[in-house]
Amino acid sequence: MEEHENKEMTAQESLSLISETLNNSRRDITRRSGKYFLFWGALLTFFSLLVYLLWTITGNPAWNCLWFAMPAVGIPLERFMRRRKESERVQNDVSRINGGIWAAFGFFACAVSAFTLLFYELNDGIITNLAVAFNLTPEIALLFGLAECISGFTLKNWVIKIAGFVTGIGGLALYYITGAEKEQMFIFAFAGLVLVITGLIVKHQYK
Amino acid sequence: MMFPTLDPLLHSELRLAVVSLLIGMEEAEFPYIKEQTGATAGNLSVQIEKLSSAGYITVDKGFKGKRPCTLCRITPEGRKAFEDYVKALKSYLVKPKK
Repeated sequence: MEEHENKEMTAQESLSLISETLNNSRRDITRRSGKYFLFWGALLTFFSLLVYLLWTITGNPAWNCLWFAMPAVGIPLERFMRRRKESERVQNDVSRINGGIWAAFGFFACAVSAFTLLFYELNDGIITNLAVAFNLTPEIALLFGLAECISGFTLKNWVIKIAGFVTGIGGLALYYITGAEKEQMFIFAFAGLVLVITGLIVKHQYK
Repeated sequence: MMFPTLDPLLHSELRLAVVSLLIGMEEAEFPYIKEQTGATAGNLSVQIEKLSSAGYITVDKGFKGKRPCTLCRITPEGRKAFEDYVKALKSYLVKPKK
């Protein structure tokens, strides 16, 4: 928009300007949120594969504690990303709801993981009682699927809704069917990829 | 048919764009508004000051790290004025009954 401070507008022009401004800002803010889906998705995939690798090499499931490093790394990095861009501090209903959903997911996932630490039994530095720790996978997969599915509803995108359902229910089913141990990390790596795809969809849909 | 008077403060392209932008969000920084409206910093500052003086928006000047940061938010008065303005605009578009 050029400088039109004194330009006389008709009623139709005024309504068009309002409608155009509202639509453009809504699309712009939602599109900006796409990069945070990409960022957290990449981080989730990275940590899943890292835990899998270290668990496989050492045979010690205590490497699961590395999950706590994910928010410790991710939150400051996200803040840095927001600060770096001068005009980043804007929010609309969609970005606020999505931010809330994923903050709640992060809180529940961290809280339930921290809770399992209370049930650890260490034997020469190796966790021996893993019953509770292992049972975390289906719960977190389900929480993740729920958050992803709700994001699909707020973003009005069927692919994201289905991806949420597949990750949540698929992760749950895979755990009970295969009973795998360190292979469960692939469920989280897949969830990370789902987030990356969500970010790409958001960026493309609201271009 | 009598047409309602349009709020002169909002019936200006740039000020209307600023208020429309702020209606859809909680808050916005000055660079974002500048980017979205395509206005120059000088002109935008003047129009924001006018809206702020009328009580339609609040302007908080602070710092983000070491950088100055100007944050704008719409007030309930601004929201009400915008709603009245849109209502008045619509009345201009309604065809009078014969």
